Amino acid sequence: MKNFNVILFLCNWGPHAAYQQLQEVDYQIPAEIKMVRIPCTGRITKALLFKAFEMGADGVALVGCSSGTCRYGSGTQAAINNTEDTRNIIDLLGLGKERMRLANFLPDESQLLKEFLAGFFNDILAMGKSPISPAIGKEKISLDENASAIVARHDAYSCQDCGKCTSSCPLALCGKTYSPRDIVNAIIHGEAISPQVENNINACLTCGICHERCPSDVNFPEFIRDMRCSIGGSGGNGSSRQAHGGFFQSLMRAMVSPDLKPRRGVHLPEQIRTDPESKVMFFGGCAPYFDVFFKRHHHVKTMDILTDSLKLLNFFDVHPRLFDEERCCGHDLLWSGDRSNFMRLAKLNVESIRDAGIETLITACPECFQTIRFDYENHGIDTGFNVIHLYEFLENEIDKGAVEFNHLSRKITFQDSCRLKRMEKVRGLPRKLIQRLSVEKFEEMKDSDRSALCCGNCAWTGCDSYSKALQVKRLRQAHATGSDLMVTSCPKCQIHLSCAMQDIMLGDELKMDMIDLTSVIANTICWD
Amino acid sequence: MSQKISKKEIIITGFGGQGIVLAGRIIGMAAALGDKKESTLVQSYGPESRGGACCAQVIISDDTIQYPYVAMADVLACMSQSAYEKYKGQLKADGFLLTDKDLVTPDGDREFFAIPSTRMAEELGRKMIANIIMIGFATSVTGVLSEKAAKEAVLASVPKGTEKLNMNAFEKGYDYGLSKLKARRKKATANTGASL
Repeated sequence: MKNFNVILFLCNWGPHAAYQQLQEVDYQIPAEIKMVRIPCTGRITKALLFKAFEMGADGVALVGCSSGTCRYGSGTQAAINNTEDTRNIIDLLGLGKERMRLANFLPDESQLLKEFLAGFFNDILAMGKSPISPAIGKEKISLDENASAIVARHDAYSCQDCGKCTSSCPLALCGKTYSPRDIVNAIIHGEAISPQVENNINACLTCGICHERCPSDVNFPEFIRDMRCSIGGSGGNGSSRQAHGGFFQSLMRAMVSPDLKPRRGVHLPEQIRTDPESKVMFFGGCAPYFDVFFKRHHHVKTMDILTDSLKLLNFFDVHPRLFDEERCCGHDLLWSGDRSNFMRLAKLNVESIRDAGIETLITACPECFQTIRFDYENHGIDTGFNVIHLYEFLENEIDKGAVEFNHLSRKITFQDSCRLKRMEKVRGLPRKLIQRLSVEKFEEMKDSDRSALCCGNCAWTGCDSYSKALQVKRLRQAHATGSDLMVTSCPKCQIHLSCAMQDIMLGDELKMDMIDLTSVIANTICWD
Repeated sequence: MSQKISKKEIIITGFGGQGIVLAGRIIGMAAALGDKKESTLVQSYGPESRGGACCAQVIISDDTIQYPYVAMADVLACMSQSAYEKYKGQLKADGFLLTDKDLVTPDGDREFFAIPSTRMAEELGRKMIANIIMIGFATSVTGVLSEKAAKEAVLASVPKGTEKLNMNAFEKGYDYGLSKLKARRKKATANTGASL
């Protein structure tokens, strides 16, 4: 029982006074409760709350001032929101909502605080240890090479210094002092990697336009990916470059625990048919987590992509299996430099999918597709099942014929996913499907297809003002086409671009409806 | 259906040069050689094969066929509007009307099965395989032939070196037919779209 860990985030103002009173009367607070004194509960973000769970906490209590007594005004409300979201997320993860609680006290409510602490502690004891075993500190799987080996493997020595990468890099074009060529040169010539170079390595969008243009065929995105792994993006201390406080990296690392059994409990419309015996699995991806995490920021509903995918599979009489205990594919761990934990996650995924007798895995997410289809294999993990993208399935079925599309009276444009457009097998599919649709008009943006601009971020790293500039540029390109609906193919494009649309300075100038291609198809497809 | 009724009469018609007669020949061959039935083919030749409405009449039967001309057809496949106008009266009320979607616009409100065979053939790279697509379509929609027999007959009838292209064409038509039947079933349950 000794090894229980309950974290108490205690606001410096109201409740801390109550806490001190308990200490004065010599009340023995259980030693398992570790108190962290904080300036205001409103400043404890979802990322910080979740970080405690990632590090193995069995329970987290956020204790602040009673409503109306917050010294900073809005702290209590922020804490209520953050707590609700975090509770929903740990519930999806299968930890149980009750491991995280918020309570508010006035300075003289020491008795109530005492009761709360005792009650919470007992509840945690009753729930038992958290199934998360901290991934941080575990032995690293040694796959990471040193810089010169990475340079050699990607043949970066063949860089001709022509500068095409810099002149095509979306970040550089947005004004950032950023040059892929310089990074390669610095790594080739430098003894050690300077903080500046390290920053640049982490800032790369890995969108791949530089590779597209490189006459020496240096795969810069993969070079960057391996460099990130080499400089230890995993660090565990939350690299300063990670967006959203490193929340998503924490979430993925938490999923590395073998004992954790996520309970995604995806709520689907009743009519959707799934079959727990099916040999075909639909891999849903992170949508349930995204929608909880971002629900207060913008009106992104990435779950729609999941339900619309299932509708389409049902439309073609496929009743797939859904995994309630599905884990993240690991894409963002790998691309933010944590190869050890990516490998652990990949192995857990492959084991559980294979054990379930799955023969075909279908996914609608470009990142899940690339990761499970190619990156697992490239890392020596043999999946033993077929991985196909939903677009491949759709194109194949629609091509058989007898399928029509109802007219959609919108002018559309298309935002490429950087992952799809770099995979030869699937890169043409979104446009093929769009051509089949019946819309008022389809107009390409100025930069499209292989030269398409990125949505501004990759793997929840390196979001900065240049990302924002890039997003604004992209949205302006979309508006310039005269379209009123932007069709996307990756949930993250939707998240990032709709974030940029919230800019209060630019107002409505950037606003545009967005919808995933899967949803457009699901909404208009019909039997002829 | 073909098992129950012993005799099936088929008219395939279109412009001269669309491969109408070859299609009739393949269907007859498939029935005789593959499905071990009796079959006859009457083809129109002369001015039609240089353009105009061309026609192939095929009879497939379990018994000996006494008379090879088709009076009223069980299946009418039309690949041109003029051919449709000319032969539409010769189709039984419960017969199958198959058309090329882009080339034929049937009148009246009788049920028909349309396939854009010429467009699909162009997409596959050769317009002249539209007839093979139509054979595949007829095979799955009407059930007068078995898939295996039809495929073998196609392979035996096409020039060497084009087997793969023709097989693709056949399968394209065959799958389209299956989708079409599925669409009919779905429509019958008033369940046409994906949105619920």
